[in-house]
Amino acid sequence: MTIRIALLLAALESTAPVLSQTPPLKGQLNIPQFAALADKASESVNVTLDSKLLSLGCRFLNAEDPEQADAKKLCTSLSGIYVRSYTFDKDFAYPKADIEGVRRQLSAPGWNRIVEAKSNKEGTNVDVFVLIDNDKAAGLGIIASEPRQFTIVNIVGNIDLEQLHSLEGKFSIPNLGIETGPKTPEAPKKKPQP
Amino acid sequence: MSENFENELRRALRPIDAPDGFAERVMRALPAQRDREPLPAPEALPTRRLVRRFAVPAAFAAALVVSMLLGQHVADVQRQRTEQQAGLAASRELMEALKVTSQKLDLAYQAVKTPPPPAGDEENRT
Repeated sequence: MTIRIALLLAALESTAPVLSQTPPLKGQLNIPQFAALADKASESVNVTLDSKLLSLGCRFLNAEDPEQADAKKLCTSLSGIYVRSYTFDKDFAYPKADIEGVRRQLSAPGWNRIVEAKSNKEGTNVDVFVLIDNDKAAGLGIIASEPRQFTIVNIVGNIDLEQLHSLEGKFSIPNLGIETGPKTPEAPKKKPQP
Repeated sequence: MSENFENELRRALRPIDAPDGFAERVMRALPAQRDREPLPAPEALPTRRLVRRFAVPAAFAAALVVSMLLGQHVADVQRQRTEQQAGLAASRELMEALKVTSQKLDLAYQAVKTPPPPAGDEENRT
């Protein structure tokens, strides 16, 4: 009897983490914690903002600061931001297998690679992916590997590409030429009357 | 001897009629008693008793309520402070995440916009 109870408790204990895990949102990648790499890295950025923390952070952005005001507009429609970025003192001190594991998730249906930039000379490789769901961008994934740095960015939620585009220059976000919808014909300009 | 004593006791305690005029004297004495100070109103007694009875528990209850409200207020202030700290930390992380994102998008942009190298150099741009 005691053994049965012990077995039952052990079974419940083993299933508890599984039950407590929430299913990933559409556009959310399963990014490892890279705990071992964080110890080796000279610099590391590890941002995990789920929808709750993101909305809390959004509320505390300063609307009077132009950068933060734009970020505030952008983050209201998002449900998660996850960033892992590690800088090393030596070239390629990180296992490429970890990156490939994340890259494989981006080959799932729905994900589209919108930018692929690879330079064998400099050893940089940057891929930008967008998850399209019902003709809307529901997720953004960036994998950037450089000799001494690798970065994974995952933005989850209804990404308004126009808003992302409006951040151009403020975070030095470049215009990647992302189409944001059908262009409306420009209204004819009025000639100044003499 | 004891019988004699009992008989004497019985004789001494035997019922006897009141002397003449006793009732009148008693009745005359009654108005003099009425002139004394009036007794306190019977209603006042329970109020004072009630106050004496419930003042201490009421004070305790009031102190309990006040301490509860004070505790709640302190907890609210502390929760707000914690929430503010967490919110500011989250907003800093959000800005950092957007900066990293913009840096990487810029890297992709620079790689895409750089003019293609002469043939033989291995660079791929899409």
